[in-house]
Amino acid sequence: MRNNVLIIGGGPAGLEASANLQRLGYNVLLVEHSNTLGGHLGKWDRLFPSGTPASGALDKLLGSMDGVKCFTDTEIQSINRLGKSYNVILSNGITVLADAVLVVTGFDLFQAEKKEEYGYGIYDHVITNADLEQYFKTGLDARINAPRKIGFVHCVGSRDEKSGCRSCSKVCCATAVKQACEMKAAFPDAQIYCFYMDLRMFGRHYEDMYLEAQRDYGIRFIRGRVAEVSENIDGSLSVKAEDTVSSKPLKVSLDLLVLMAGMRPSVSGQRIGSLLGMQNEKDGYFEVLSEITSQQRSPIPGIFLAGAATGPKTLPDTLADARGAATQIDKYLSDIFPKAKDLKQLIKTAW
Amino acid sequence: MMPANIFPILAAQASPEVIDRIPSSYSHFVIPFVAGITFFLVWIFVGLIRVLTQLNHDDRMQFWTSLLNPITAGKNIRDLFCDCLFHTKIWQRKPLLGYMHSAIAFGWFMLIVLGHIEVALFVPKHLSYGEGGLFYPIFYRYFVWIRPGHETLRGAFFFFLMDFFLLYVLTGIGLAMFKRFRSIVLGMRHTTKPSLADRVALYSLWMIFPLRLLAESFTADLSGGSFLTLGMNHLLHFLFGDKLYFQPFWWAYSICLGTFFAAMPFSRYMHILTEVLWILFRNAGLKPSHPRKGVAEAEIYACSSCGLCLDACPMNVQKKNLKYSSVYFIRFLRRHNERKIAEIADKCLMCDKCHALCPVSVDAPALRRAQRQTTNDHLPYDYSYLDTAPVKLHEAAIPRHPELDSGSDSSKVLYFAGCMSHLTPRIIKAVEELFKKAGTEYVFADREGGICCGRPLLLAGKKEAAAKTMDANKSMIKASGCKTLVLSCPICYKVFKEEYNLAGIRVVHYTQYFKELIDAGKLNVGKSGEKIVYHDPCELGRGCNVYEEPRTVLRQVGDLVKAGHEYDESICCGGSLGSLTLSQNDRRKITDAAIKDLTIAFPETIVTACPLCLKTFSERSTVPVKDFAEVLTNHCG
Amino acid sequence: MVDFGFGLLASSRINLDLFDKEKFDSLAAEEPDVRKCIACGSCTAVCTAGKFTPTSLRAAIEELQNGRDEVAMNMLKGCQLCGKCAMVCPRGINTRHLILSIAKIYSKK
Repeated sequence: MRNNVLIIGGGPAGLEASANLQRLGYNVLLVEHSNTLGGHLGKWDRLFPSGTPASGALDKLLGSMDGVKCFTDTEIQSINRLGKSYNVILSNGITVLADAVLVVTGFDLFQAEKKEEYGYGIYDHVITNADLEQYFKTGLDARINAPRKIGFVHCVGSRDEKSGCRSCSKVCCATAVKQACEMKAAFPDAQIYCFYMDLRMFGRHYEDMYLEAQRDYGIRFIRGRVAEVSENIDGSLSVKAEDTVSSKPLKVSLDLLVLMAGMRPSVSGQRIGSLLGMQNEKDGYFEVLSEITSQQRSPIPGIFLAGAATGPKTLPDTLADARGAATQIDKYLSDIFPKAKDLKQLIKTAW
Repeated sequence: MMPANIFPILAAQASPEVIDRIPSSYSHFVIPFVAGITFFLVWIFVGLIRVLTQLNHDDRMQFWTSLLNPITAGKNIRDLFCDCLFHTKIWQRKPLLGYMHSAIAFGWFMLIVLGHIEVALFVPKHLSYGEGGLFYPIFYRYFVWIRPGHETLRGAFFFFLMDFFLLYVLTGIGLAMFKRFRSIVLGMRHTTKPSLADRVALYSLWMIFPLRLLAESFTADLSGGSFLTLGMNHLLHFLFGDKLYFQPFWWAYSICLGTFFAAMPFSRYMHILTEVLWILFRNAGLKPSHPRKGVAEAEIYACSSCGLCLDACPMNVQKKNLKYSSVYFIRFLRRHNERKIAEIADKCLMCDKCHALCPVSVDAPALRRAQRQTTNDHLPYDYSYLDTAPVKLHEAAIPRHPELDSGSDSSKVLYFAGCMSHLTPRIIKAVEELFKKAGTEYVFADREGGICCGRPLLLAGKKEAAAKTMDANKSMIKASGCKTLVLSCPICYKVFKEEYNLAGIRVVHYTQYFKELIDAGKLNVGKSGEKIVYHDPCELGRGCNVYEEPRTVLRQVGDLVKAGHEYDESICCGGSLGSLTLSQNDRRKITDAAIKDLTIAFPETIVTACPLCLKTFSERSTVPVKDFAEVLTNHCG
Repeated sequence: MVDFGFGLLASSRINLDLFDKEKFDSLAAEEPDVRKCIACGSCTAVCTAGKFTPTSLRAAIEELQNGRDEVAMNMLKGCQLCGKCAMVCPRGINTRHLILSIAKIYSKK
C-alpha cells in the first residue's frame, strides 16, 4: 500500500517536493488554485545571481513530475482529520484521503499602491519589480519609454511597520541589483540609481553581482529610503530621499521608478491555514514546530510546510526546503504507518 | 399627634394676611442642612471671585459686555434651560438617559422654585426673610401647617405641583440607581468610576428625595399634600395607627441634604451650579489660556463626570485606554495630579468628539492644548529661515504656469495642498484635473513643497511658534493676489479659516469648492451605482462643521450608504496629528475599528476628504479607500 | 610632553566618550521610539523645514549618541512639527513626540 501525500500549492516548492516524494514511492497529488504551475517563477524572466533563465529552471522542475497527479484551477473545499489521515474535498468534486499534507502556499507580492507616497498606479512611470520582469519577458510596457534616468527603490512593503511587515523580504536587494544591471544593458545611456536602506548581499556570488553593478554597469547606490515622489509637468518624476552617507536631503528627476515590492503571506494560503486550524506567527507566516530543527513541520501532526509559506526565501532556499520537507514526510509516514514501512522493509529484505 | 412643646406653634404671631396656614419658625433638625448649604455657598462665592480674578483683563471685559449683549443674553437663557435643566443634548442621543438627567435637574429646580413661591405667598415676610430664610422653602411642609377647619385653601394647587415634581424627580433617581448597575440599558457602555466624594454625594443624593417623600408623607395630613404624599400618609396611618413620629424623617432628610451640599464641591455634582458659569463663559467666547485657571477652572467644575465622553472616545476600543478619556483628564486637573494631567493631555487624538457630545460642551481638547502649552510653548525653536522663505515659495509656484501672469488676478484661485497631501499624490493629481476640467485658473502655492500651516504646532501647544509659520504663510497668500484659497487638507483648512484672519480672501475646502463648481454647471458628474460610504474627517466635520457638501456631491455620483457612526459621531481614523504619545499599535486598533464601523453596510468604496485619513485607512483597509476629488474625477464627464 | 602636532582638531572626530548616557536614557524613557531608528533617512527626505534649513531627525538621533548634543539640537530647532516624517517612518517612530522630548530634555542645562 502506498501512502497518499497531498501538496497544496504548485509553485517551485510544491513541484520540487512532489517530484521527490513521488521518487520515494508515495502517491502524490498536487493541487494548485491558479491555472498554471510554477507560481511566481513562471512570471520571472531571469534569476539572480547569474542571470539563469527562469523558464529553464521551471522546465527542469516540471520535467521531473512524472507520476504526480496535478489539479490546476482547483481549490481545497474542506479538510478534516480522519483517524491518522486527512479527508480532503476538492472543488472539482474529488475526495482524497491524505496521510500527509504539505502546505506550500508561498507568498503574494506586496501591493505597491498601498505605499501612497510612491504613486504606483497614479504616476505614469512608476512600476514594480514584477512589472519589469514582465517587460523583460515581453518587451512591452507603455510606462517604459527609453528612460535615461532610472531609480530602484528597495524595501517597498518590507521592513516597514506601516505596511504591516517588519521583516526583510530577502530577495529584493539581489533582484534590484540584477534588474538594474539588466536595465543598464537594455538602455546603455541610462543613469541608474538604487536607493537602499541596507544592502543585503548575503548569498554566494551576490557580492560579485554587486561589484559588477558598480564597476561594469556604473550603477549608483544611494543609502537612503525614497520617501516622497511627485510628478513634474513633463511627466518625469521628482524623487526625494536623504543621502544618509553625506547627510543631505537629495532630489532627483527620473524617467522611471521601479519599486521592489516585497513578500507577503499569501492570501489563499491564509485560507488553507484557517481550514487546517494552523497558527500564524506575528509576521503573518505559518508557525513551525521549531525554526532550527523542524523548519518543515507544523505543530499539527501530518501537516508539513515548505518554501515562502514559512517566511521569505530565495529560490534555492525554497527548493532545498522542499526537499527537506519530502524527507520529513517520508520519516513521518514510516513512523506513523509502520505497516507500510514493514512492507517496504519486507520487500527490501526479500530483495 | 404633634406635641406642642416640641414644636411651638406660632399661631398667635400669624400675620393678618395668612389666615388659613399656621407657620412656625425653627426646629433643630434644620442645622445639618443649614451647615451644609452655608459651607457650600461660601465655597461657591470664594470660587467665583477666584475665577473672575484669574481671568485676564480682556477676558473679563469680554465676559461683562457679553452679559449686556441682548443676543448673547438670549442665548444664555436658552442654553441655561436647555443644557442645565432639560439636557436636550442627551435627550437627542439617548432619550432614557436624557429623561433621567432632566428629571433630576428640572424636577429639583421646579421643587425649589415652587417652594419659594409657596413661601412668598403663604409665609409672613418677617419669617421668610428673617428667621427661616435659608431653610423655609426647603422644609416648608414641616413649618407651615393648614389651620384646622380651613377646607377651601388658597394655593392648594401647589400641593399637586409639588407632588408631581417630586414624583418626576423620584423616577429620575430610580433610573439613576438602575444605571449604576445596568448602564447599557440607558445607552452607556462605559461609566465613570466614582471617587469617594462622588460616592458620598451620590448616595446622599439618592436618599434626599425618597426621604423627602417620607418626611412630607408623614406630615401630609397636617401640612397638606396631594396624590402622592397624601396617599402615602393614609397608608402610613393605616400601617402605624394614629400617631406618626415624623421628626426622625425630617432629621434624616436634613442630614442628607447637608451632607450632599457639604460633599458637593469635592464631587462631580458641583457641575449643577458651575455649569451655569461655564455656559456664560462659553457664550461670551472665552477660551482657556491656562489648563487650570480662570475659564479652565469654570470648565473643569462644569464637568458632571457623566462619562458620555468615555463611549465617545475613539481610544476606548481598548479598555486600557479608557483612562485617557476627558472625564478623567478633568478629574486629575481638579486634583492637581500633574503627572497624570501631562500624560493624558499628550495621549489625546484631539478628534473633538468628546467636546461635540458633551452635554454642556466642555471643551476638553482645548484644555489639553492649554496644558500642552505649559510644557511645550517655551521649548527652543528657530524659524528665522521663514523670513525669506515665503517669497521664494510664491515665485516657485508661478513659473510652473507660464500661461498665467503672476499679477494679482482675483479670478484665480490659490491651491494650497499642505504637507500631508504631498504624500498622497492622488489627491493633488485629482484636484488639478478637476481644476482643469472646470476651467479654473489656479496657482499651486506649494507645488514644490511649502511650509506647515501651523495647526500641528498649535495642537502640540506651541502657540508662539505657530504664529510665526502662520505669518509666513499669510504674506505668501497675500502676495499671490488670489481672492480664493482652496485647501484639500482639513487640518490646513481649519487653521486658515479660524486663525489666519485673511481679510478679503475666501477660504474654502475643496469639498465645498467642487460642490460650487458642480452647482454652477462647470463640472459635470455622472451617477454610477457604486456603493460609497463617506468618512467625516475630524478636522472637517466636528472641526469646521462641513458635513453636507461632500455628502451632497457624493449622492450625485454614487449610492451613498450609511456608516455606523456619522457626522459629529464619526470615529477618528487613528492617524490624527493631535496625539503626541499614542503608540502605533494603539492607533492601528482605532483605524481597524473605524474601518469596521464604516463598512457595516458593505460599501464598495470608502471615501474621505483628508490626506491623513486617506493614508491611514489605505494602509489597513481591504475595502478600497478613495479621496473625494479622486471619486469626482472618476465620475466626471 | 613634546607636542608632535599630530593631534586631530577637536571637532573633526566623534568622541564617543562624550556621550551622555544618562540623558539619553532619560530621553528613551520619555520616548522609547528613539531606539527604533534604522537611519533610512525618510524623515529628512520629506522634511518641510529641511528645504530651508538643515533639519534631520535621523542625524540628530545619531549625533545625540555621538555625544554632540548641541549639533543635534541645532538640527531640530527649525522643525515645524508637521508630522510628515511620522507618516513615512518605516519603523513607525513617534517623531513629533521624540522631537519635543529631545527639546525638553536637552534644553535643560
